[in-house]
This record gives sequence, C-alpha cells and structure tokens, in this order.
Amino acid sequence: MKSWLFPILQTAVVVILLISYYAASWFGEQYVLRAEPYDPFDPFYGEYVMLQYPDLISTTVTDDDSVYFTLKESTDGYAVIDRLETEPFFGAIKGSVFGGSVTAPQLEQFYVEQGLGPDLESARNLEVTIDVSSWGTIRPVDLRERSE
Amino acid sequence: MDTEHKLKQWQQAGLLEKETAERILAFEKRQPAPKKLPLLLMIGLVFLSLAIFSFVAANWQAIPDLAKVLLMLALMWLFYTIAHFSEKKVFGSPLLFRVIGLAMFGAALLTAAQTFHFPLANSVLPWAMFLATLAHYFYWRHLIYSVIGFFFGALVLLSFMPDIGWLEWILFIAVAVAWFYFSKEFAPVVFSWILLFASGFMLWGLVDYDSVLWPIWTLFALVLLLLIVPETKQRMIRPLYLIAAGMLIVVYLAVRGQTFIGLIDESQLGEAIALAVVGIGVLLLSFFKFRSLMWVAVPGVIGLLLFDETAIGLAVAAELSALAYLIIAQRQNEPLGLGFVYFIIVQFVIYIIYAWERLDMSVFFLIGALLLFLLSAVAWWVNRRKEGATP
Repeated sequence: MKSWLFPILQTAVVVILLISYYAASWFGEQYVLRAEPYDPFDPFYGEYVMLQYPDLISTTVTDDDSVYFTLKESTDGYAVIDRLETEPFFGAIKGSVFGGSVTAPQLEQFYVEQGLGPDLESARNLEVTIDVSSWGTIRPVDLRERSE
Repeated sequence: MDTEHKLKQWQQAGLLEKETAERILAFEKRQPAPKKLPLLLMIGLVFLSLAIFSFVAANWQAIPDLAKVLLMLALMWLFYTIAHFSEKKVFGSPLLFRVIGLAMFGAALLTAAQTFHFPLANSVLPWAMFLATLAHYFYWRHLIYSVIGFFFGALVLLSFMPDIGWLEWILFIAVAVAWFYFSKEFAPVVFSWILLFASGFMLWGLVDYDSVLWPIWTLFALVLLLLIVPETKQRMIRPLYLIAAGMLIVVYLAVRGQTFIGLIDESQLGEAIALAVVGIGVLLLSFFKFRSLMWVAVPGVIGLLLFDETAIGLAVAAELSALAYLIIAQRQNEPLGLGFVYFIIVQFVIYIIYAWERLDMSVFFLIGALLLFLLSAVAWWVNRRKEGATP
C-alpha cells in the first residue's frame, strides 16, 4: 500500500527534526548566557520573549548580517564569545551583529508557557541555558530569572 | 415523489411509454435509501471533539514537550487511517480526511518548532510542506493539492528572503520545473509556472549586480520551457506568457512615466543591449517554433527604452503592440478578450501619465477620440462592403 508511505515519511521528517534537536545535547556542551528581554511583543502563534545578550559583544565586527562564532565559559560562569569570524568555520554558530551585539536566530526569541511572558519581560535579569552541538546547532533548554 | 412527478410529466408529453415509466419507477424503488448519519450522532460527535480539543488546550502546558509533538503525529495518523478506510468502504470523503492529515503534519512541524525553540525564520517548514503536498499531488492528482502546493511553494520563496543561497534557489527551480513538466491539468501547470516566474525575482537577492530587468530575463528564460512541452501544453500556457509580457510592459511604462526613480544608468547600457539581442533571439525562435507567441519578444526593447526619461518610446511600444495584437488576432479569428483588456489598461496608463495634468487640453483629446471613432467606423464600413454585404 503505497499510500501509507505518506504518513510514514512525514513521521520520519518530524522524527529527524526532533533528533537533530536532541543531538545538540547528546554531542555538545552546555552554556549559560546572561540575557535581557527587549522589545517584547506577542504575535498570534504564542507567547515569547525577545532576548538580547549583554555578554555577547563583538569589537572587531560591529554590523554584519552573517557572522560565525563559538562560545566559552568565562570566570563568572556565564558564556562569552570565544572566536568570531565573518567566514564559516566548523562548529561555529551562525548569527548576526548589530551595533556590536551578537545574536543568533534561535537565541533571539524564546517561547515560554502561556502567562509567563509578561513576568519574564518585566524581569530585567534573565539567564538562558543552551546546548551547543559540536557542529554549531543550538538547543535552547531553559529561560529563568537570574539570581544575583 | 419528485421522480414520479417528472415521469408522469414526460409520459403526458408523449416522451415516454407507460411501460418504460413503470419500469423506471420500479427500479428506483428497489434502490437502497442513502445511508445518513443520524443527526443526534453528528451533533454528539461535534460536541465530543470540541470537548477533547478544549481539554487538550486547557492542559497544553502540562503536556511534556515530546508528547505534544507525538499527539499531533497521532492525529495525523488517525486522519490518514480514516482516509484509507473511507476509500475502501466508500464512506465520507477520503480527500477531505487526507487534507486534514496533511494539515496535521504541518501542525506537528509547527508544534515541534515552537516547543523546541527552532528558528521559524528559515525555510525548513515551508519546504517540508511544499514537498509533502507535491507528493500528495503526484499520487492522487487532485486540484486541492495543487492549490496547497502553490501556497507553500510561495511560502518557500518568501522564506528565502532576505539572504538566499544559490543551492536552495536551484533546488526550488528544479522542483518547480518537475512539477510543471509532469502535470497535465491546467491548475498545476499554471501554479508551477507562476512559481517559476516568481523565483526569477529572487535574482535581486542572489546577484550583487543591481538590475531592474530581472523579470524580463526570467520571462525570456521561461520561453525555453516551451521547447520541452508538447503542443497541447503550449496552447494551455500561451496566455500566461502573453499576460506576463503585457504586465511587464505596463508596469515598466507606469514606473518610468509616473515616477522620477532613476531606474537605469549608463553602466547598464550593455545589459539593455544584451536584453534587446536576446529579445531578437526570442522573436526568431518563436517565429519558427510557436508563431503565436512572438509578442513575448516585445519586452526585449524595454531595457533600451528605459533610458528615455519621457517614456514616450515605452508608450509607443505598448500602444503599437496592443493595436497590432488586436488587429492580427481579429484577422486570425482568435479570441480578443485578453488583447482588449491589455489595450484598455495601456490607454489608462498612458492617459494618467500624459493627460492627467493637462486636463485643460481635454477638448483636444475629445476631438482626437471622436476622429478615431469616425475613422474606425469608416474602416468598418469599407471592410463590410469588401466582404460583399449589401447595405
């Protein structure tokens, strides 16, 4: 029955998507990023918080649509930029720089449970836990208020 | 009963023998009554599904991440299974169930993206839906899949922006060409052609060289498609080429004539000349292969005419092509509808560009129009006499 191939293949696509997501935790390192909410808005497909990262700063490149960077843990336990290039290299996260602030598409917004959005937006000090795979994909794991 | 009444009418009108009418009536009475789902059961089902949905929605936060996606996948499987049995046992609409199953696939992807914080800006989700829908189309060949496929194809194109890669672009064109080539019905052929034409606009993002003529280059490139399709399909897509060519002329005329944007500069003279040369190539090719499509070559002159700031050259080209198309189409007894629409639009655009601010000269236009009307009446009269009609 060839028609069964459709749900089977479609399930496979979703499973591959999920595996690619979990793989970042299986074969990667975990970082905690200092984060701040900004320009919060609430489009129709759910509540999420827009984030920016005060520690992810670039001095060499100030404005670029596509940069490639890796992270390292600094002495206070929060992640900072390790290496930043304008050309891709293995293990790099693809992101962008605006006014010296570095971000990546997966880091810009964080979906939260319905109702939690306004609280997190009003809290200025947040931290985001992410897993970064050795080939540069990101899995955001947690968003919470920073205790400091 | 309606059948009984009709039969009696036909019998009275002498259209039907009495025996035949009786035999039809007896046959109709033997037919099993159509199975109907009891109304109460239907209302019950509606309420039950509403209850299930609100229960799931209320507890959505409490459901573990993975379970949310699995729930969507389970729904997808449920609808594909119902579709399978509805086809086998001939109940309900298998097509509808499959479309819902496909929608559930989209929902599973969206849920996965949302729960697992995937970036929604890239083109993975539209691509997955586009390819899945096309696969449905090629297996079941139903119009609805081509409509959904067109929608998601357009989403893929939109998701390419702002930064688009050559590989993805070429892949998209390959898929759209395959869809175009292997479809026989009108709708999928038109949809895939429109996607191909629209993918030409992506050249603005792909190539560093800043050209205003990409849409015309795209139209000329699409002429090559005509070489690989049989003649029936050529006839089917012919209006698309003519409409696209007409729209291009009108749009460039309107933009050049009505705005003060410097569309083109001297560094692009080479491109404009190249376009004109390719236009001549298209003209020759269509002259030998598909003569009714020679009009497509007309936009080839746009590149050169854009250098004229008054846009008079463009207006003349638009006007002449409109008139010539109408005259030739009428001589060959071809439909004139599209030609007329183009002709009227061209008149409007020219009127707005050149006459809007000179309304004090409207008497001049009125006299001109009356003269033209008179001339055409004379031409019609002479033509009529020539064909041998007696006044």
